[in-house]
Amino acid sequence: MTESEYLVETRGLKKYFPLTGGVFRKVIGKVHAVDGVDLHIRRGETLGVVGESGCGKTTLGRTILRLLEPTEGEIWFDGKNITDVKGKDLRHIRRQMQIVFQDPMASLNPRITIKNSVGEPLVVNGIARGPKMRKMVLELLEKVGLTEDHLNRFPHEFSGGQRQRICIARALALNPEFVVMDEPTSSTDVSVQAQTLNLMKDLQDELNLTYMFISHDLSVVKHMSDRIAVMYLGKIVELTPHDIFRYAQHPYTFALVSAVPIPDPRFAGKAQILSGEVPSPINPPPGCRFNPRCIFAQEVCKTQEPELRDVGDGHLVACHFAGTLDFGKSAQQEYAEATGSM
Amino acid sequence: MADTKDLVLEVHGLKTNFYTYEGVVKALDGVELFLRRGDTMGLVGETGCGKSVTARSILRLVEPPGRVEEGEILFREIDPKTGEVNAVDILQLDEDEMLHIRGGKIAIVFQDPSTFPNPVFRIGDQIAEVILLHQDMKHDVLEMKINKLERILNMNPPPVNVSEIVAHLEQLRSMRGNPPEPDEKAKKKAAKWRAIEMLKLVRMPSPESVVNQYPHELSGGMRQRALIAMALACNPSILICDEATTALDVTVQAQVLNLLNQLKKEIGTSIIIITHDMGVVAETCNWVAVMYAGTTVETCATDELFANPLHPYTEGLLHAVPKLHEERERLPQIPGSVPNLIHPPSGCRFHPRCDFATEICKTEKPKLEEVQPDHWVACHHPRI
Repeated sequence: MTESEYLVETRGLKKYFPLTGGVFRKVIGKVHAVDGVDLHIRRGETLGVVGESGCGKTTLGRTILRLLEPTEGEIWFDGKNITDVKGKDLRHIRRQMQIVFQDPMASLNPRITIKNSVGEPLVVNGIARGPKMRKMVLELLEKVGLTEDHLNRFPHEFSGGQRQRICIARALALNPEFVVMDEPTSSTDVSVQAQTLNLMKDLQDELNLTYMFISHDLSVVKHMSDRIAVMYLGKIVELTPHDIFRYAQHPYTFALVSAVPIPDPRFAGKAQILSGEVPSPINPPPGCRFNPRCIFAQEVCKTQEPELRDVGDGHLVACHFAGTLDFGKSAQQEYAEATGSM
Repeated sequence: MADTKDLVLEVHGLKTNFYTYEGVVKALDGVELFLRRGDTMGLVGETGCGKSVTARSILRLVEPPGRVEEGEILFREIDPKTGEVNAVDILQLDEDEMLHIRGGKIAIVFQDPSTFPNPVFRIGDQIAEVILLHQDMKHDVLEMKINKLERILNMNPPPVNVSEIVAHLEQLRSMRGNPPEPDEKAKKKAAKWRAIEMLKLVRMPSPESVVNQYPHELSGGMRQRALIAMALACNPSILICDEATTALDVTVQAQVLNLLNQLKKEIGTSIIIITHDMGVVAETCNWVAVMYAGTTVETCATDELFANPLHPYTEGLLHAVPKLHEERERLPQIPGSVPNLIHPPSGCRFHPRCDFATEICKTEKPKLEEVQPDHWVACHHPRI
C-alpha cells in the first residue's frame, strides 16, 4: 500500500444518522447509512458505486469529502489521515476534492450569473478576482464546451445538460485531483447524457482526474468505471475490476444486473425478479444483509456476516459461497453473446 | 393502416399550444398515433418532446395556459352487449361525457408515486372512490352477499340454521339477472371489497391490511402497485402509464414491468407506456411511437424499430444508450439539444441536428408515411 498508488482510502468507515422520537426528541434508533466500508481508489481511475436508493452510496461519497462527519473509521487522502482535520487545513484539503451533485438547477444559485457562480471558489480561496477571475472562468467554460456569451447569463437560461456542464466547470475551478460525481446524469436525457459522459471522460484524460462515480444506472456506471463497487444496505457486497454484467459473483449483484431492461425486444421478459424490497437500514437483518431475499441463503448466512474477500485479481466479494454458486445465465449474458456473434 | 375496427385509439394531427408570457409554445404539432386493441404501445422521446402533453391531451387534462387547438382523437369502444364498435371523438365530447371516459374507460398512472396518492386518505378509500364513481355496484353488492353466505355454509362447525341460509342463498342467486338497487352503505362496503380484489390482482402483499393504510406507510413499489390497481379498478379499455417506473429502482422496476406484462394477459387492456428508457420499451411493448419536439417521427413494431430504425433521430437515440456489454471509449452522441418550442425550427424539426439534412428539410415538414409495410416514418430521407 504505497502512498502513490492510492489517492483515497477509507478504513471501516461508518456513518449513522440518529433517529429521534417521542416528546423529548430522544434518540430511539440509528439509521445505518454507511456501515463499515473499506475501499481504496487508485490515482487516475474511476471507481463506480452502484446500488438501489437508500443503500448509502450518496452518504458514502459525502462522508469521504467530509461534508458529513463520519461516525467511526478513518478517511485517508493522498497519504494523509483527514478524518479529524479542521478549519484552515480542511479548507486546504477540500481544494483537492470536489463534488458534482445530482440536480444542477438546485446547486446553482438562480440569482447569480454563471461567471460568479463558477468563479466563487476562486474568490473564496483567494486565487483570483476581478478580470483575472473572469479569464480563468472563461477558460473553464471553454473546457466544458461553453462560450464567452454564456458568462453573464443566469442558470435558468440554460438547458439541463448545459447546467450540468457549468457544475462540472465549477467543480474543476480549483484544479482538484479527486471529484465525486453524485448521479450527474440521472436528471438528463439519453442524448444529453451521452454528451456529458463523453465530456467527463475527456476531462479525466486531460486533467488526470480521479473520479468516484455514483449512480443507480448500471449501464452508465459500467461505461464510465474502471472498477465497480456494489452497495447494499450500507455495505459493499462486491467490488470488481471485471465486467459486472458477465462476471457477477454476489447473488445481489447478479439480481441487480439481470433486472436492467435490455434495449432489445428479443430478450424481453427474461429478467430474474428479485422478490421483496430493501429492508430498513434502521434494523438491518443479522448475518448477511441480503439473506432474506437471497435464493441461495443457508443457515450460516443468517448468523454470520460474510467478509469482503478476494476471489482473485482484486475481485472482492462479501458472500459465504462466492465462486461456488451457479446463477445460470442472465438475459444480459445471452444478449452479449448474441450481439457479440453478430 | 390496419383495419379501423382493431384500433382502440387513433390520434390525428393533434396540436396543443401553451400560451406563456414568452410566447406560444407549440408543444404538439401534428401528433399521429394509433393503438390496436390489446397492444402495448411505447411512447418514447426525450424530455420536452411532448409525451406527457399527448397523454394529457388524450384525457383532456391539459390545463391553462395550455389548449388543444386542433386534431382528432378517436376512441373506439366495443359495446359489450351488441359487439358493435362505436367511435367517438374525445375532443368533441362535453365535460359530463368526458367524466365518464376519464378514469372509467381511459385511465392514467402518473409519474411520481410519492406525490400522487392523496396522503390524507387511506389506500382502500381512494380506490373505492374511483369504483363508486364509475361503476354500478348492484352486481357487486349481490355477489358479496352470496359470497358471505357461502362462507357461512362452509364454516366448521356448520351453522344451526342451514336450511334457512340455503333458501336465502337461492333467493339471492335468482336475483342475479336483475339485482336490486342497494343502499349507500352496502355500496361502500362492496367497493372496498372490490378494492381488496384489485390489490390482489396487482399482487400486493397482504391486501387486507393495505386497504386501511395511508400512502406514506407504503414503499415506492407498493405505492406504484396501488396506483395501478386504482387505474385498473374500472376495467378501462386503455391504460396510460406516464413514466410509471421512472422513479423506481431497477429491481422494483423489473417487478412492476413484469406485473404489467402479466396483467395485460389477464384483463386484455390496451396499454400506452410513456418512457424515455429504450430498455423498458423493449421489455414490455410490442408497438412503439417515437416523438421528437412535438411530432411523431417514427412508429412501427418494437422488433422492427430496434432492428431497422429508419429515422435518423431514432437511430441516434438507440446508439446513445450505453450498452451493457460493449467496451466503448465514447458514446455516439446526437449533436445539439432539443429545440426551443416557442421558435421551433422550420420544416422538419430535427433538421438542425440531423446529419442527413438537405434543403427540403429546412422548408417542408415531412408527413408520417408508410415507407415499409407497417412502418411509418416522417422523414424526407428515411434510412432505408
